[in-house]
Amino acid sequence: MESVFGLVGKDFAIVVADSSAVHSILVHKTNEDKIMVLDSHKLMGASGETGDRAQFTEYVQKNVALYQFRNGIPLTTAATANFTRGELATALRKNPYMVNIILAGYDKDVGPSLYFIDYIASLHKVDKAAFGYGSYFALSMMDRHYRRDMSVEEAIELVDKCIREIRSRLVVAPPNFLIKIVDKDGAREYGWRESIKDAPVAAA
Amino acid sequence: MTKQQANWSPYDNNGGTCVAIAGADYCVIAADTRMSTGYSILTRDYSKIIQLADKSVMASSGFQADVRALQKVLAARHLIYQHQHNKQMSCPAMAQLLSNTLYFKRFFPYYAFNVLGGLDSEGKGCVFTYDAVGSYERVGYSAQGSGATLITPFLDNQLKSPSPLLLPAKDAVTPLSEIEAIDLVKTCFASATERDIYTGDKVEMLVLNASGIRREFMELRKD
Amino acid sequence: MMKIDFSGLDPYMPVKGNAEDLDDEILAAPSFKLPVTVDFDGFQKAAVQMVKPAKGTTTLAFIFKDGVMVAADSRASMGGYISSQSVKKIIEINPYMLGTMAGGAADCQFWHRNLGIKCRLHELANKRRISVAGASKLLANILYSYRGMGLSVGTMIAGWDENGPGLYYVDSEGGRLKGTRFSVGSGSPYAYGVLDSGYRFDLSVEEAAELARRAIYHATFRDGASGGVASVYHVGPSGWKKLSGDDVGELHYSYYPVEPTAVEQEMADVPIA
Repeated sequence: MESVFGLVGKDFAIVVADSSAVHSILVHKTNEDKIMVLDSHKLMGASGETGDRAQFTEYVQKNVALYQFRNGIPLTTAATANFTRGELATALRKNPYMVNIILAGYDKDVGPSLYFIDYIASLHKVDKAAFGYGSYFALSMMDRHYRRDMSVEEAIELVDKCIREIRSRLVVAPPNFLIKIVDKDGAREYGWRESIKDAPVAAA
Repeated sequence: MTKQQANWSPYDNNGGTCVAIAGADYCVIAADTRMSTGYSILTRDYSKIIQLADKSVMASSGFQADVRALQKVLAARHLIYQHQHNKQMSCPAMAQLLSNTLYFKRFFPYYAFNVLGGLDSEGKGCVFTYDAVGSYERVGYSAQGSGATLITPFLDNQLKSPSPLLLPAKDAVTPLSEIEAIDLVKTCFASATERDIYTGDKVEMLVLNASGIRREFMELRKD
Repeated sequence: MMKIDFSGLDPYMPVKGNAEDLDDEILAAPSFKLPVTVDFDGFQKAAVQMVKPAKGTTTLAFIFKDGVMVAADSRASMGGYISSQSVKKIIEINPYMLGTMAGGAADCQFWHRNLGIKCRLHELANKRRISVAGASKLLANILYSYRGMGLSVGTMIAGWDENGPGLYYVDSEGGRLKGTRFSVGSGSPYAYGVLDSGYRFDLSVEEAAELARRAIYHATFRDGASGGVASVYHVGPSGWKKLSGDDVGELHYSYYPVEPTAVEQEMADVPIA
């Protein structure tokens, strides 16, 4: 089942998400990207109902872009987090979006940061965060091994530890994970951790 | 907190059975004329069939209040169509209009089960069958309403036309002559009346062909 | 006000009523009527229960080297009763795009018809065909805007656009997945079993069609809610084409011909003493 987690390192932040699209007992897809790149220096990992996840993250992405077009400067990570929280809070009393979000970003003056936002619109600035069934394993693993001054290599080693634990201990463990990173050079895909390939199709 | 609302339903089921058969150059649309609620018979002489255009006829069972509302909407829409296009709507066009009209009440459905019969632009018989919220398909024959589960298997057995989905396609036209089709419809209703309490009293049949439209009746059991 | 003579449209047995009551319903732009109730969900559930929508399906689609293969069964059942064996579950949106139907028959049929209109309007406005990605997103956004209101749609949009073959899965929860291989409906686990084991990207059109047909056949064999005719469509660079439609009842005997079994023991009369 869904697992999204993330952590802040020395001068970067990492977001990891499983890549399964599941409907009851069926796995429709194992290479679904659930981490949206909001702008050049922001990542948004989301878990929750598929429709809400896709619609809400895209809505935030478009609004962040709109702000940048109107004002000529990008929204800071903190401002984006507060905007996202505000939208979730407004929706909460009408028709809630069932999405939990891990927002990671890199700002020139503050460095990397990570925000935990859940569907009931609570917002926390944290060093490490996790959602979904995988969170139980990832949280304790990160509590034990996390350090504030981790290098990218150390952080990836920790991420791999978490993925290994989820795969071996979670009954409904997703097979594949996607890792994305954000640092001073921008937000980008870091790598896949795949135990099965979706359709062996490259050309399509 | 206890429920503050009265337990009132905007729906009733007045029963009734509708059958339609399409032939090479004719179409038979039939329905019984009984209207019931629960175990009570409200009337033995209520027509479930309406002629919507020159070449389209609709038979509807279910909740007669909804059926009347639906018939009036279609009649009015067709009147507007005539004013705008100066012609009668074709049967396939009416079929899609009925589908859309039903679907626009998707969240508060018409409790009506319809069959639409008529002649298409080539003069061939056509039958369209619907669910209550507007999904429809063109078929060779169809039964709807309280007796549908009794009549459909019988028609399948007697007429079993090859599926229109088959490829290479097989001719799906009902092999019966007009007279034979009418006799078959009469048999259907006589049989359904034996086992369905909501079917009986009288069967009304409308026959469309190149020479126009004709109405026939046959008495059914009244118990 | 001048009265229009409605008498020609009246049924055989006339019913009294006021035609003006319907003015707003007919003259206003069509829009969805909502019931006036405090408990919309409860009403919706009860109403849907009353009209018993048709359910149960197997549909599949996959991308391979020569395009997209789409296949479906044709059964509609209401509980235990088969309400139709001839449902057209592959909907022809336009000459280059197909949609499949699982869930509520009316919901799928209506919104695909609606999508067909939107695609044509896009074509007229932009002088080019809409992409499969674009079309599927139009549908997903519409369905998402009705979320929680009880629509039931599980569809695949398959087609050919400027980027080659395209395949998307769209459902009424607002989900939209791009992929190369999908199966939807109650028979989909069985179809996946056959599909996954026989799939290769470099399948020929004939092989792909046979795989699709076989997957549908095996799904109808195991899933009681699927059956009827297995239709197979292919979408290539020049649009879609229906390749086959076979009654699965007959397909069974072509796959597994009846073999005469040897009689192991013959009944014989017992001699009366």
